[in-house]
Amino acid sequence: MINNGYTELLRSAFADFRRSKIRTLLTSLGIMIGVMSVVLLIALGLGLKNYITQQFESLGANLLFVRPGPSVSDSGGIQGSFSGAIGGIKFDEKDVATLKRIGKIDYVVPVYFKGVSISYEGKKKFGYLIGTNEDVFKILNLKVLKGVLFTKADAQAGVKSVVLGRKIAEDLFSQAEIAIGKTIRAENQRFKVMGVVENKGDPQMDSGVFMPYKVTFESMNPDKTFFTIYLGVHSKDDLEAVKIAAKNALLKRYNKDDFSIVESSEILSTINTIFGVINSVLVAIGSISLLVGGIGIMNIMYATVTERTKEVGIRRAIGATESDVLRQFLAESVLLSLIGGLLGLLLSSLIVLGVRIFFPASINLFSVVITLVISSAIGIFFGVFPARRAAKLPPIEAIRYE
Amino acid sequence: MIKLQNICKSYFLGDDQVKAVCGINLEIDDGEYVGILGSSGSGKSTLMYMIGLLEQPSEGKILLDGQDVSKLSDEELSHIRNKNVGFIFQQFNLINKFTVLENILMPTKYAKYKLDFDPNERADELLKRFGIWERRNFFPNKISGGQQQRVAIARALMMKPKIILADEPTGNLDSKTGDEILKLLEELNKELKVTIVLVTHEHDVAKRTKKQIYIKDGEIVKKYL
Repeated sequence: MINNGYTELLRSAFADFRRSKIRTLLTSLGIMIGVMSVVLLIALGLGLKNYITQQFESLGANLLFVRPGPSVSDSGGIQGSFSGAIGGIKFDEKDVATLKRIGKIDYVVPVYFKGVSISYEGKKKFGYLIGTNEDVFKILNLKVLKGVLFTKADAQAGVKSVVLGRKIAEDLFSQAEIAIGKTIRAENQRFKVMGVVENKGDPQMDSGVFMPYKVTFESMNPDKTFFTIYLGVHSKDDLEAVKIAAKNALLKRYNKDDFSIVESSEILSTINTIFGVINSVLVAIGSISLLVGGIGIMNIMYATVTERTKEVGIRRAIGATESDVLRQFLAESVLLSLIGGLLGLLLSSLIVLGVRIFFPASINLFSVVITLVISSAIGIFFGVFPARRAAKLPPIEAIRYE
Repeated sequence: MIKLQNICKSYFLGDDQVKAVCGINLEIDDGEYVGILGSSGSGKSTLMYMIGLLEQPSEGKILLDGQDVSKLSDEELSHIRNKNVGFIFQQFNLINKFTVLENILMPTKYAKYKLDFDPNERADELLKRFGIWERRNFFPNKISGGQQQRVAIARALMMKPKIILADEPTGNLDSKTGDEILKLLEELNKELKVTIVLVTHEHDVAKRTKKQIYIKDGEIVKKYL
């Protein structure tokens, strides 16, 4: 086909698609759904990653976490926020004092953390008691929504006033402003709500009941320990130095494997690794629908070959070679698959655009390229068997076929 | 031009070997107009398709300009068909999803060499010559049988073939239209010196050719020269 090449293949394929629009559409639909699910899963995975990255970035880049147990990469945990590693040592006020003596640190924030049931006038909601100091709001960038935050003086006095995360406040009071001045109950104690902070996107912070850590020392935390200590380093350049200094300071008391000091970026990279794995699994699941779509194409192409047996015979008579016929049918299956792929891409782009209002999902170049590559590959793989059948039809029988 | 030497063609129907044609010796020279006459099932179409290189004999040799075609690949055979052979069928065998013009142009799409003519000009010329110019943008199923057969003839002639093979070309036409088609073939043979092999079961049709071959049960029983 020197003088026509691919345009002729396309023209011929589209002539057939025009004749069977519904069939073409339905066949492409399989691939469309497959591509859509894969692209959407990639987009959502990417969005989740972006989201978490954003969350971490809003925590501030100059943050160090002093946590019990060996370092994140060894334990594989992602407990960057309040939960802390399970088991291991617990820190106390002495450690806080030790860490405060290291220079170049703006804030040292100890955190006691416990998931509890919180009630207000019989209404019970699950939330998190967070025993900490006044700097927690600065280090975590928590913005006041209503009321006030507890101060250093409050913390030292151990006043039984708490600051709620917006979510738990709204859960209990329907509106955040109502909460101010009310008394909630948790762990058989009464706390007066003095302020509400804006949601952060972290479920533990958003449902957090922040209180001076001294308050927790009474009954719920008689050991007077902390799960984790946050260090707000003055400048990014000091991170490494502070990390080493903090480590050395704590090594006087603990063993090397008893605790670890990690940067938020380290936690982030671990999270990214984990999301990478989760995403691959999701994409693999999504690919099943691509496979089904491919089988659909194969099915239709076999039907098409049977239907157009006579046409194959005619083409062979006027000089089409076996490979001409093969190419013709292959072009159709690839085109069907590509149309489906592009539709899927288009549709998932629209969905992603919609989702972006709530969630930073995104389609990257990788998904676009992979979509086109995969749908072509499916078209070729599932099209080649029917196309071969067409090519191998004996011309005489084909031409006599009715 | 074409020489058939001791040609046999057999098929397998299940385990049984069925001979379609056997012991055929035949020579067709340039510019001849040969009729192959035989009843249905006599093997005349099989013979025609072997002459047209659409089918290979089980035994014997086909020599095309002295070259044994049994050794040729599918690719080479297809090229020869494309360049040198034009088929005309009883059922017209046009592709209905393409227009008349597109059907006529189709053989040029399979040309593996640079054409020495402009396909569109030649198509126009043929359309005009066969009186189907007004129908060029119609789809085949929207025109009459006679017109369809003219389109098929135009398609067969597109590549300026050496030989035209017509399988019952009048079989689906009324006698008047059939007569017109036969006249057209006669003209082509006379004016363009195209070799024509016409397969038919009708004596009247066969009589219009210059030379007839009678075939019965897969064998040539009579050659009228």
